[in-house]
Amino acid sequence: MRIPWEATSLKNFRIVVLVVVSLFLLGLPLFTGQFISYLMLTFFAYAITVVGFNLLFGYTGLLSFGHALFMAVGAYTAAFLTSRFSVLYMEVILIVSVIVASILAALIGTICVRYIKIYFAMLTLAFGMLFYTFLLKFYYLTGGDEGMRVLRPYLLGFNFSEVPKMQFLTGSYYLYTFVILAILMFVMWKIISSPFGLCLKAIRDNPEKAEYLGVSVRKYRWYAFVISGAYAAIGGALLAPAIGQVDPGLTYWTHSGTLVFMTLLGGFENFFGPLIGGIVYIFLQDKIMSLTQYWRFIFGGILAFIVIAAPGGIAGVISSLAKRRKS
Amino acid sequence: MGITVVKVLVGGGMPTPLFILPLIVAGLLLGFIGPIFERGLIKFVYGRDETFQLLLTFAIVMMIEDIIKFIWGTSPQTTGGIDMVYGQLNVLGATVPVYNLIVIGCSFAIAILIGYILLNTRFGRIIRATADKREMSEALGINMTWVYVKVFTLGTILGTLGGALVIPAGAAVSEMGVELIVLAFAVVVIGGLGSMKGALVGALVVGILKSIAISTFPEIEMLTIYIIVIVVLVIKPQGLFGGGRV
Amino acid sequence: MNEATGRMILSAQDLHKHYGEFCALGGVSFQINEGEFVSIIGPNGAGKTTLINVLTGLLKPNQGKVFFKDMEITGIGPERLSKLGLARSFQLVNIFPNFTVLEFLMVAIVSRLGKGKNFFSSLLRDQEVTGEALEVAELFGLGEKKDVLTKNLPQGDKKMLDVASAFALHPEVILLDEPTSGVSTSDKNKIMETLVSASKKIGIKSIIQVEHDMDIVFSYSDRIIALHQGKILADGAPETIEKDEEVVCTVVGQKECFKIFSSILNREG
Repeated sequence: MRIPWEATSLKNFRIVVLVVVSLFLLGLPLFTGQFISYLMLTFFAYAITVVGFNLLFGYTGLLSFGHALFMAVGAYTAAFLTSRFSVLYMEVILIVSVIVASILAALIGTICVRYIKIYFAMLTLAFGMLFYTFLLKFYYLTGGDEGMRVLRPYLLGFNFSEVPKMQFLTGSYYLYTFVILAILMFVMWKIISSPFGLCLKAIRDNPEKAEYLGVSVRKYRWYAFVISGAYAAIGGALLAPAIGQVDPGLTYWTHSGTLVFMTLLGGFENFFGPLIGGIVYIFLQDKIMSLTQYWRFIFGGILAFIVIAAPGGIAGVISSLAKRRKS
Repeated sequence: MGITVVKVLVGGGMPTPLFILPLIVAGLLLGFIGPIFERGLIKFVYGRDETFQLLLTFAIVMMIEDIIKFIWGTSPQTTGGIDMVYGQLNVLGATVPVYNLIVIGCSFAIAILIGYILLNTRFGRIIRATADKREMSEALGINMTWVYVKVFTLGTILGTLGGALVIPAGAAVSEMGVELIVLAFAVVVIGGLGSMKGALVGALVVGILKSIAISTFPEIEMLTIYIIVIVVLVIKPQGLFGGGRV
Repeated sequence: MNEATGRMILSAQDLHKHYGEFCALGGVSFQINEGEFVSIIGPNGAGKTTLINVLTGLLKPNQGKVFFKDMEITGIGPERLSKLGLARSFQLVNIFPNFTVLEFLMVAIVSRLGKGKNFFSSLLRDQEVTGEALEVAELFGLGEKKDVLTKNLPQGDKKMLDVASAFALHPEVILLDEPTSGVSTSDKNKIMETLVSASKKIGIKSIIQVEHDMDIVFSYSDRIIALHQGKILADGAPETIEKDEEVVCTVVGQKECFKIFSSILNREG
C-alpha cells in the first residue's frame, strides 16, 4: 500500500496532478450548473471533516462512531453566533468553533482514549448520541428538532447580503471554502509526515511495541482526537451557512456513520482516500435518494461489500491495480 | 463476538406484531435468518480487526431497517393493547399487566436454560473454550465453522425473541434497532463481557434505571442510558463481573 | 562487557506473581550491578518471561518491588520505563509490519530525542533522526535493507530489528528475551558479537538476557541466574554454575546432562 513519495519523478507527477485537479475544482462553477457546484461546496466541508477523521482512523487506528458530534459543534456554533449573537465574521466563527470543539474533544478524548476498538467506537457513539439528546431536549437553547437558522456570514469582512443566495454560495463562498480546504490539507500533510505522524502510525500498528519505545499511546491518541475534532468543527462551521439550518440530526449516529462510510469508501490507508470517498458518496447519495427512498439498504449493501471485499476502498483498489500493472 | 450478533438481530426481531403464542414462535423462527447472514456475509470478517466486524454489523442493521420499512411501512406498529388480554395483577401495591410478568418469567427461564447449556452440556463447554482460545480449540478438532454458525443462530434467536416479546408492551419503530443495540451494549458493559451473571445484573440495572428515568424525567430516558454507559466504562471498564481486557 | 563497577543498577525484591492458583514467581530477589552481563536461564514455564514482564513494568507483581538505581519502578509501564533508561526486546518478534527498517528505528530515536510532539517538522528532512537511524541500522547489519518493509524481512532480521530498536533508545540497561531464538546456530555467535559491540558503542551499562542456548550463556555471561518453577535455583558466575549438577540438569534436562558433563570433563581433562 506504500508508494515511495520520496521518488522525485513520482513526486513531481503528483504535484502536477494536484495542481490540475485544484484548478479544475476552482473553475468548476464557471462551467457547471449551480446545483453541482453546491454539491461540491458541501463536499469541501465534508472533505475537511473527513481528512481530520482519517487522522484518527487511518493513521492512529481509532474508529470513532461519534465524530459527527464535532461537526455539529461547529455547525451549531455558526448558527449560534450568527442568529443569536449577530456575529457574522466567518473567521471569528471558525476560531470559536475550533476552540469549543477542542475543549470538548479534550474532555471527551480523555475518557475515550483509554479504550480500544469496539469500546472506543461505542463510547464515541454514546457521546455523539448524548449530544443529540441534549440538542433535542434543550429546545429553549438549541431550537430542539427544528434547529436553528444560520445567517449569511461576512467573508474576510466583506458583506455579501446583497448577492442572491445561490450565487453567493457557488461564487465567493465556494472559493473561500476551497481555499480553507487546501490550507487544512496542507497542514494535515505536514502533520502526517512529521515525527508526530510517525508515532501515530506506530501506535496504530503495534501499540505495545510503541509503548516500549517510549511513545505514550494514550497521550498521542488524545492529541489525534483533539486535532480531528477541530477539523470536524471547521467542516461543520463551513457547512452550516451552506445548508442554512442546523438541526440535531447532524450529530445522530448515522451522520457519524456517513463520515466513516466516506472514509472507508475512498480508502483509509491513503491520504486522498477520504476525499475520493467524500465526492463519490455525496454525488451517489444525491442520485440514489432521488431514485428510491430505500437508500439505506443500498448504502448498507455497499458498506458491507467494502468491508468484505475491498477494505482499502477505492484508493486501495486503484493501488492494487497499479501494482499488478507493474508486475 | 456473540454480542455483536445479538445487537444486529434485536432490531430485526421487531416486525412481527402477531398474537401471543405465535409471537414466540415467530420470534424463534425469524432467528433462523441468522445463519444466512452468518454464512453469507459475516464469515468473511472473522479474521479481521474487530472494528470491521462492527462496521459490517452496522451495515446489516441499515439494510434491515430499510427492509423493515419496505415490508411494513414507516409508521410505528403496535399490537393495540393485546398485552392487556391477560388482565392485570396487583403486586406490592402496583398494578402490573400479567403479560409483563409472563415476559419476566420467560426471561428467567431462558436465562436459566442458557446458563445450563453453557455450564453443563458439551456444546456449552465448547463455546466457552473457543471464546477463550480459538486456535487451541481448532487444534483439538472442534469444527470452528459449525460452532460459529450455531452460536450465531442462538444469538439471533435470542435477539428476535427478545424483540418480539418486547413489542406488545410498546410500539415497534424501524429505528428501534439502534436504540436496542445501545441498550444491549450498556447491559454487556455494565455486567462485564463474558459473564452470564453480569449480563443478568446488567439487564436488571439498565431496566430499572430506564424505568426510573421514564417516571421522573421522561425526556432524558435515553440520555440516562448513554450516561450510564459512559460512567461505567470510565469507572470500571471490566464491568461488574467481567474479566476481559479493554 | 564494561568494567563492573559494583554499583547496583537493577534490583528485584521478593517478587511474587500468581495467576489465580498458578504461581509464576514465588519470591524472586536479585541484584544486578553496572557492567554486568547477566543471563537468566531455566526450563520452559520457569517464569522467565513473567519475570521480564514484571521487571519492565508490563505486569504488576502481587508482591515485591523492582528498583532501578534508587528509584522504585514496580509496574510503571513500558513507556515511562524507556524514558528512565530501560529497554527490552521480545521473544516473539514485536514489530511494525508496515514500516521500513529506517522508519522503525526512527520511532525509537524520535521518542528518545523527544521530538514526538513536533507536528510540523518534516521527518524525512530531519538529518539528526535519519542519520542516526542509518547508523543504528548499519551497526546491526541492516544498513542495506533500510528501505525494506519490516514485514518482508526474513525472520532473523526482524528479530535483529526488534533488538536494534531497543538499542536505539540508548538505554542504560537492556533486557533481551531470547535474542537468538529461531536463529541458526552458526548465526548465533554473529548476533551476540553484534550485540556486545553495539552495547559498547552506545554505552549500555548492563545487559540482561533470557537465553536457552547454554553455549552462548556460558561464553558471554558474567553471571547466571537460574530460575525454576518461579524461584531462583542459583545465582552466580558461570564457573560456579556449571559445576552445580542440580542446576544444569534442571535447566537443561536429563538427556542433555550427559553432554554437558562430558564437555566439562573434556575441558578440564
